[in-house]
Amino acid sequence: MKVENFLEKHEIREVNLVKKLVLNGGEVSHNDMVDYLDVSRASLDKDLASLAYRLEPFKESVRVDFDGPMITLFMSNEFSLAQIYQVYLKESVKVKIISYLYRHQEFSIVQLTQKLMISESSLFRKIKELNDYLKEFQIKIRNGRLQGEELQIRYFYYQFYWYVSDKPTSAAKKNDDQVAKLLQATTNFMGINLEPDGKERLKVWLHISKNRVNSKKKIYKELRRLMEPYMEDHFYQKMRSMVLRYFSRYSIEVDEEEAMLHFVFMLAFPVLTEHDFHEYTLLRARRAPIATIDTYVVETIIIHYNFRRLPYMLEREMFYYLSQIHAKMYFLKGAMEVYEYDTILSKEKQFTGKDLVSFAEQLRMISIGKFEIEESTEDSLLKMELLKYISLLAIVTFSMTKIKKVGIDLKMETIYTEALNHLLILNMRHINGIHVEKYQPKKDYDLVLTNAAIKDNSAYGKAEVYVLSEILSPFDMKNIQNIIQNLTL
Amino acid sequence: MKVAIIGASFAGVTAALEVRKHHPNAEISLLEKQPQLGYIPNGLHLYLDKKIDSLSQAYFIKEADLEQRRIKILLESTVEKVDTANHQLTYRHDNEAITLEYDKLIIATGSSQLSHKIEGSDSDRVLKYKRLKGAEDALETLQASQHVTIIGGGQIGVEAADLLTKNGKQVALVENMDYVLFKYFDKDMIQPIQEEMQEAGVALYMNQTVSSIKEAGDKLEIQLGSGSIESDTAILAVNVRPDLSFLDGQIDLHMDHTIAVDEYLRTSHPDVLAVGDCIQLPSCMGEEAMYIPLVNNAVRTGIVAAANLVKPAQTFNGSLRTIGTSAFGYHIASTGMTESDSLFSDYPIGVKRQIVPANSLPFAEEVLIKYVYNEETRELLGAQLVSKADVLEKINTLALAIQTNQTLEDLSQKEFFFHPTFTNTIETTNLVAWPHIRRDTDES
Repeated sequence: MKVENFLEKHEIREVNLVKKLVLNGGEVSHNDMVDYLDVSRASLDKDLASLAYRLEPFKESVRVDFDGPMITLFMSNEFSLAQIYQVYLKESVKVKIISYLYRHQEFSIVQLTQKLMISESSLFRKIKELNDYLKEFQIKIRNGRLQGEELQIRYFYYQFYWYVSDKPTSAAKKNDDQVAKLLQATTNFMGINLEPDGKERLKVWLHISKNRVNSKKKIYKELRRLMEPYMEDHFYQKMRSMVLRYFSRYSIEVDEEEAMLHFVFMLAFPVLTEHDFHEYTLLRARRAPIATIDTYVVETIIIHYNFRRLPYMLEREMFYYLSQIHAKMYFLKGAMEVYEYDTILSKEKQFTGKDLVSFAEQLRMISIGKFEIEESTEDSLLKMELLKYISLLAIVTFSMTKIKKVGIDLKMETIYTEALNHLLILNMRHINGIHVEKYQPKKDYDLVLTNAAIKDNSAYGKAEVYVLSEILSPFDMKNIQNIIQNLTL
Repeated sequence: MKVAIIGASFAGVTAALEVRKHHPNAEISLLEKQPQLGYIPNGLHLYLDKKIDSLSQAYFIKEADLEQRRIKILLESTVEKVDTANHQLTYRHDNEAITLEYDKLIIATGSSQLSHKIEGSDSDRVLKYKRLKGAEDALETLQASQHVTIIGGGQIGVEAADLLTKNGKQVALVENMDYVLFKYFDKDMIQPIQEEMQEAGVALYMNQTVSSIKEAGDKLEIQLGSGSIESDTAILAVNVRPDLSFLDGQIDLHMDHTIAVDEYLRTSHPDVLAVGDCIQLPSCMGEEAMYIPLVNNAVRTGIVAAANLVKPAQTFNGSLRTIGTSAFGYHIASTGMTESDSLFSDYPIGVKRQIVPANSLPFAEEVLIKYVYNEETRELLGAQLVSKADVLEKINTLALAIQTNQTLEDLSQKEFFFHPTFTNTIETTNLVAWPHIRRDTDES
């Protein structure tokens, strides 16, 4: 499910219109915009008018002018595209339905039509649309309730309140004494320290848990099945003891599954610090599914890159990230696609090269196979995990890359070489993992750049040699970058 | 002034008596769902312990005592609706809906042993005997049963296990946590009792949750997370909970469906107060309010609510969750914060454990005491006592010490009488370390 799925078609167009302006330096002609959005001129005018109306309350911070030949965007330094998204999401009927369901757990059609001031038929249409998107989370709105496995319901709400719903407003709502206490109890009891981001995540989760703890007819069938290998896990046992003890202080009959839900959340999201997670791995059951796949994937990476030995801290880091990826794959279904999959993928590709992407895909398929998960086209979670494998591989390759030495050996008048050396060094600054300097004959280099073709390369030892056709030409720069990329992989 | 009080157990009865004291001319109506009032909850234990000859002796007050004070008693009257805007309530008596007007309303509906999670727990064959009717039925069933499974290892569960074992029954006890009485004691303190339980033949199922109870012929099958227990009967001894469905959203409730009250025990409606087992109470165990359904709190909140009926006069000073009981040859008592519960608080916590002889006679029984205190201020926050000697009363001294913010040093100077038959050279709860008579373990 994508965040924009909460919006109407014309609203998505309006947001995309702003996005296009941002990408184009704040100015696009009417004609280009018509082409980009693939709409008629009349529709564009309508969209622009609607956009202007929506942004009117924020005119001090953001404005789109379209009277002249160009459509121009004015945005203050503190305002961003994300906030424009929020302007639209706040008014979204679908967002309001989910928020209402969250607050009241149940609704009648009459209640909801009155509250949202829409007709019964449009309410049914919206619910149907929502249910299409909720399918991948394996939950649905039915008989005035959100139905499905409790873990999936809470996971969906977590994604919703973390990514979709307006953060500042929900943060104020989250300022809840009981949640703060429970948060503190969790850290004390579990003996963990939380970073601000982890704390914020856990707070949102606990808020959702508090909201759901009393709801009726909760389903835990799948959760119980998946938890079977974890019943003796010491972290789970501790969590169970804490949850039961905490709720014994209230008139709440709590299920032990409540502890299972927290356990899953703590494993699947970046809540624990790397240090606390490492402490956990020392005691976790190594044969349980997630730990097994973590180890298998780490070994596959080591073999693939022919690493003899990984630095200790890097290996810990790998386990930390992999465990989150695998816990998500093992326990959860569906995802909120916050990042545009294709955009990120193409950026990653450009950044890391094709090989990395195909190896990441190989790892993803290994995990899917080992977990015996059937991949369905509608579940975006498994798809999105590819990006995480790519990032992980990028971390590993960057860390394992030795700095490559590049020497510049220009054969021309000294006055030119001095200046050009500086320029070349400046131009290559953005390339990671290299050290560039003026060639010194007694030193070893991985790559030597020169402008004069030479017959005998042996003078440069084992270094690769590249002869510049035209110093500072884009053609040369591209080639050099490719050589370096191949050298570092 | 017309005062209606819903519920005639400890909280309701106390409130009625106190309202009379403050308002000699008030018209007081006390409504009770049951056909009688004043029954001591779990009077069945007194009977099984042979402290009373019949359940009819398990009363803390009689109707006549209340009527004498011009308190109108409406038994078998189930309140179905409260209309706070119009100051009236509707109750059902003899199948007839009757409306009662009030100026002030006190809700004292108490709590029941019930479970929404354990499938089959509402069956009649799963005993719940907080009220008289349940106790009468339970007594009959228990007499005909040999194997009894107790669900819940709290005070009721452990007492029942003790009494049933003494009565020759084979007992199994299922507890969610890894030891019994976890709300009041730390694991190290309860270990001797738990060992004694096993010695007495109680089958302990710790860390186990009951998922369902199925009837299989004349037996019950109690399903656990893993495995099951076959039993003639079962006792539901889980946490009690209030049932406030008659309020129908007119008064603010907490997340755990207890009534939200302020420090004067007033609800969100100015003319409605709530007491006893249907509210949360401020506790010493952190700033958070907690649900502490104990008779002592019922009585004390009844007193405070009556004092605040017309205008706020007295705040409720909180609960320390003080309990005392005896089971399996031990007298055990607890007040305030346990070491395990201290993880929910912000205080820097210190802990001291001592073993002290109960008196100055040869072969005196030992008393195991645990003190939990604020390490910074050295104020006492909690205490637990475990002994084969009857030292239960001493917990009240320690409770008062906590209520009045006494430090460990204050405790060492506490005034006491000396008598070799009853005391040691230094009183049990005077925290002094004398190497030869006290074994000390400082765990701070």
